[in-house]
Order: sequence, then structure tokens, then C-alpha cells
Amino acid sequence: MRLRAALAGLPALIGLAGWLLLPRILRPIPILSIKIDFGMLSLVSGLLLSAALLAAAAARRRSGLDIARERNLQADSRRRFLRRLDHELKNPLTGIRAALANLEGAGTAGAAPAVLRDIQHQVERLTRLTAGLRKLADLEVIPLEYGEVDLGALLQETVDAVRAHPSGSGRDLRLVVPSVPWPLPRIVGDRDLLSLAFFNLVENALKFTSQEDTVEVRAMEQARHVQVEIADTGPGIPAEDLPRVFEELYRGSNARGSEGSGLGLALVRRVVERHEGEVTVRSRRDGPRGTVFVVTLPVSIRIPQQPRTRQS
Amino acid sequence: MAQPGSKILLVDDEPSITDNLSAFLERAGYTVVCASDGRQALRQIDAVHPDLVVLDVLMPEMDGRAVLRSLRSQGSHLPVILLTQVGEAGERAMALEEGADDYLNKPFDPRELLARVRAVLRRAQGSPVSLSSAWKITSAPLVLDRRARRATLSGRVLTLTPKALSLLEYLMTHPDELITRERLLDAVWGWDYPAGTRAVDTRIAELRRALGDEAEEPQFIETVTGEGYRFRAPVEGEQ
Repeated sequence: MRLRAALAGLPALIGLAGWLLLPRILRPIPILSIKIDFGMLSLVSGLLLSAALLAAAAARRRSGLDIARERNLQADSRRRFLRRLDHELKNPLTGIRAALANLEGAGTAGAAPAVLRDIQHQVERLTRLTAGLRKLADLEVIPLEYGEVDLGALLQETVDAVRAHPSGSGRDLRLVVPSVPWPLPRIVGDRDLLSLAFFNLVENALKFTSQEDTVEVRAMEQARHVQVEIADTGPGIPAEDLPRVFEELYRGSNARGSEGSGLGLALVRRVVERHEGEVTVRSRRDGPRGTVFVVTLPVSIRIPQQPRTRQS
Repeated sequence: MAQPGSKILLVDDEPSITDNLSAFLERAGYTVVCASDGRQALRQIDAVHPDLVVLDVLMPEMDGRAVLRSLRSQGSHLPVILLTQVGEAGERAMALEEGADDYLNKPFDPRELLARVRAVLRRAQGSPVSLSSAWKITSAPLVLDRRARRATLSGRVLTLTPKALSLLEYLMTHPDELITRERLLDAVWGWDYPAGTRAVDTRIAELRRALGDEAEEPQFIETVTGEGYRFRAPVEGEQ
């Protein structure tokens, strides 16, 4: 790096030498009928060249630093992910080993059904985890099946599905979709994936709030975007957890021990990003407390060379 | 159906899978023979003449896909259920194309395997020609050209999303069989998620619109209330 900076200074030095050594005379240039001080010319052009070389070297150095920083961040997040994965695998495996040891000791005694239920439970947990990991991996590569999506109908369907789910029974779950003076614009996207994302968000809101809390899903049009908010009156997310909630397998301090793959919000983020949209979260722990996830999706996106099909 | 007593060849390189699955299938009344790689599987097929093969895809020596190709290229219609590896989005569609009679994504519920085994054996006894290796499937006036990925109704090409087409393909290659929404999700989407059963209903509605099929009096796709769907029209395969 230092050598390169020194080399960049070389044209300036040569220019300076030229200015000092060349006879200080103005030479006429025959065709242009102007006179040029060659000494000054060599100095100015040398300085300019050096400045350009230095700027280029600095830019290169900066982008090198950026790449290094980016690599570090990626390595960090990879380490965090592996650590969390290790943890997620260890717990059910420990449970299964304990159950198996118990089963061996118990022989054919009456403890067996309960132990088998425990094993079954842990196996289901591992199955959910691998299914989630596969979805995440798939989402990196699968082509989206684009079509026109009526978000209002999709949200109604999602809310109905959550209500029919055990986690949603008896809960105060509301949906607000504008219909006046015009309905939400249809957006272009993959209906099944969007439905998965909104289902995860609504289910997530119900999971981290109590029976008395309210969850409200509301959609609105914003310029060339549609914004969907999933808001709840729950205890809120601690400020230190907020930047991390979309990371794979991240579990906030209030989420320990809760069921679920720990991949739901990471999936949401990936689905939204593949639709060229954005998902953010804001949360308050006191005053009027609660959490709002905001999904912003463009009404139309560039479809990468796939036929556009119509879906209801 | 003369199913119990049918002979199943179970091929997987993981002993804990073959040991436990063979015991499970034997309890259901089948005779089970095991193999741990592709070459051994082909030798066993010649030696013991199984009625059905349950075949893992990822194996040393010769993988399950190569075994299936080898069988089909010899003109064998021996029913095969592929155990596909997770994480390969295109693999499911390929499994049907290459002539598997059915496929299951690992990790699967052994009871689901049993259900698949029963359905495939029943179908194999009913029709001499396997639909799974047919490239053109007809249920007049509906024709599905699997190579061209195109469906026509009375000669008119149907506009279908890729997923709806895969769904139609799965239904037509498993005619007269009750298929649950969960099974369709696993087989066609490869994903299972709580709101997903509605995704199935949406695609079925799309198919019905394209086919001009009424949900109340269906010609092709019948709803089995609370359970799933069934392709009820007779189906013929063309090799």
C-alpha cells in the first residue's frame, strides 16, 4: 500500500523537476499561435496525475476494507448461526437420549407410553427445524411463481387460517382492509409464499402475546406500494433484541423455551426481499406497549423472465 | 386386494432406517427384503422378484435414480416409491418424470409410507401399464402431455400455472385415490405449512375453472369433504 502511494507521487516529483530544470522560457507553438511554459506544464500535469493515482489507490483501499468488513460480518453471522443451530439440535437430542435411557431402565413397565410421547415430541421439534431450514435454503433458489395477488383476500384467508389454528382460537384478532373509495391495488407476487409470510407474522404475534391482548392486521396503499402492518398489544421486544429478530434461529430473551422453529421471521424476511419489499419492526415496552411489524411490498416488480400468470 | 404377503424390497444405506422400517412393514403383513446400495438392489430385484421397491435416492455405488432409470430402460414396470432427499426443489417433479410411482420426502412418517405402499400396490394390480412411466395421460377429453408440460381439453391448450399443472399431473397419475391436502402439499409443493392446505384449495379451484369442472358435480376432480381430493375420471397412459 505504502509503495503504491509513493509510486503515485512520482509523476508530481518528475513534474516538479521539469519545472525547476526546464529553461524558464515561453515557447511558441506554431500551429496554435499560443505560448506555453513547458516547465509549468510538466508541474501541473505531474500534480494532476499524482492526485488521480492517489485517489484511485485510496478508493481501492476503501473498497478492500469494505469487503474485509463485509466478510467479517458474514463470518460472524455464520458463527452465530452455527452456534444457535448446535443449541437447537442439542436440546431435543438430549431429551431423546434421556427418554431412551429411561426406557431402557423402565423395561416394559408403565412408564413407556409417556417416554415414547416425549421422544415423539422431540422428534417433531427436529422435524420442524429441518423443514424450516429446507424452506430457507429453497427460498434462495426456487423461481417464484408470479401472478396478480389480491392482498385483501389473501390476508382474509390468512387470518381465517390462523383463527382455525389452535393458537388462534378465542383470540382478539382483527383485520382492516380498505375498500373505500377504492380497494387495495393487486400486487405482483407469489401467492403461496406471501401467504406463508403473513401466516408466520400473525402466528408470531399471537404466540408472543397473551389471551387478553389484541392483534390487528391492517393494510394500506402507499404511493406505489402496499403496506401491511401486524400490530399487537403484547409486552414488546427488548431494544437489544430488535435488530436481531429476523436472524435465523435467533431467540429473543422473552422467547426462550417457546415452541417453533426459530426460523419464522427469517423466512418472512426472505420472502419479502424476494418480492423487492422490506420488513421492519418497531416496539415499545412501556406506555402504550406493543409491537408492529411492517411489510412494504411494491405494487409491481420486475419479473425475471417468467411468464406472468393470473391467480385469484 | 391380495396385498398382505406382497414382497417389498427396501433399499437404503442407513441400517437404522432399513431395520426399523422393515420391522414396521412386516408387522403390516408384508414380506420385506433389504438392500443397502443400488447395485445390490438390482441384484435383489432379479433374485427375489419383489412386488414393489422402496428406493432411497442418495446412496453409495449407484444412486436410487440410476436404479430407477436402469429398470425403466429395461421396460420394467416394477412399482417404485422413491425416498427423495430434502432440499432439492426440482427433485420431486423429476421423480415423477423418471417414472417413480410415488415419492416421499425425508424425514417422513412411516405410516405415510405404508399408505403409499398400499395405494401403489393397489394401482399396480388394477392396471397392467404403469401410469408413472407414461408420457401422455388421457382422461378424455383431457390430455396431459408430460414431456411438453402441457394440458389440453378437447384439443384446446389450457393456461395453467406451473404449480397447477404439477398438481394435475399428480392427481392424474394417482387416479381413483383419495389424496389428502397434506399429501398434495408434500408431493407438489414439497413444503408443509399451516395455511398451506388453503393453497391447495386455491390451485384446485384454478384447475376446476380451467377444466370447466363443477365442485358439486365434478367430471374430473372430486372433493372428499374434510379429507382431500380424488381424480375420479378413468385415466389411460400412453408409453
